[in-house]
Amino acid sequence: MKERHPENLGLVSTDIPLISNLNVWLNIALIRLYHLSESRLQAKRVVVGLLNRFQKREIAGLRIAALDHWERYLVKLLRAAMVQDALIVIDRPFRLVPDLPDAELIENSLTRIDDLYFSCRILDYSWNRDRYRIKDVSES
Amino acid sequence: MVTFIEGIGTRTLKLCRSAFETLFFTWQVILHLLDLKTYNKATQLVIITQLYFTAVQILPLFIYISALMGLFLMGIVLDSIKQMGMAGNLGNILMGFIFTEVCPFMTVLLLALRSGAALNTEVAVMKVSKELDALNVFRIDAFDYIVVPRILSGIISVVLLNGIFTLVLLASGALFSRMIFGLAFDAYIRILVVSADFSDLVILILKCATFGFFITLLPIRYGLTASNELSSIPIAVLTGMNNVFIAIVVIEVLSLILSSI
Repeated sequence: MKERHPENLGLVSTDIPLISNLNVWLNIALIRLYHLSESRLQAKRVVVGLLNRFQKREIAGLRIAALDHWERYLVKLLRAAMVQDALIVIDRPFRLVPDLPDAELIENSLTRIDDLYFSCRILDYSWNRDRYRIKDVSES
Repeated sequence: MVTFIEGIGTRTLKLCRSAFETLFFTWQVILHLLDLKTYNKATQLVIITQLYFTAVQILPLFIYISALMGLFLMGIVLDSIKQMGMAGNLGNILMGFIFTEVCPFMTVLLLALRSGAALNTEVAVMKVSKELDALNVFRIDAFDYIVVPRILSGIISVVLLNGIFTLVLLASGALFSRMIFGLAFDAYIRILVVSADFSDLVILILKCATFGFFITLLPIRYGLTASNELSSIPIAVLTGMNNVFIAIVVIEVLSLILSSI
């Protein structure tokens, strides 16, 4: 089993905001530009490809203020997935996207990028367990 | 009486602590500026963006103001030189006062008012909205990504914009010296070249670079002092800009002392 370090943490949370003076693709690509020193064009190509998995290619050039809750969640998720061997932790998804009836879209979004992360944990209140429709939910 | 003395002591301690923190921050910035690892693709991108915001976006307004200032200033200075019968010192006055003192001072004043205030607010807002924490979570060093690119672009911008300001004033000087003294353009340039001193040029560039360094460093440093409350933003901006203007005066005085040695 791979050893996990805190630096692998890809946190998706309302407490970890997106950078307001960057547009969507730069918010996602920032980690690649900074840690891998990848070229701007290469990083943009990767990010646009990832946004395309969610049919959200058109938001790549938008500022964060122009996004709705779901789009902000997706940008945060993709940003977290840019961490090498990411351990994605989604902190209370229904706070991130308050108008979701259940966690189906969240699960679906994770499936679409499952090649990008090592592991994923969703942290939520126990009273939201029915919204996840999964059996192996652990409580602590 | 005791409260009054205590008040002086508290203020002195606060001042000393703030000065020490600024010096420590400056030292950290210098270390990061000299570290090649700082200049990754993300930092390079911010340097280019900041250069655009600080040096390019301001150009139309900057050229307009420098042309206006140039016309008034050079007109008044050259007319006064003629009235006081100091035409023989024309080159020395232009090189020693206008181009090495007035030009950098006006340039840094314009940049401090525009970019210094913007930087201070930007960093304070980033701090309040926890964007700096977000960078930290993803192991992005705020010094590398926020501080260094802005300071570097500040240094480059002040040096370049001072060059433009000087060129505009030189052109105004050529125009007025022709009108007032009947000097041909080549004679005007010869006077300036003869009066120019290499050490003055070095001090001028160093002064511009120091101005650029501090009018970006201090707004960032005080922007970072904002707390988690929105109401701390105006306080951080006010303190930062006060310190920027104090720094400008201190650097100006130090450069005057240096050039008179």
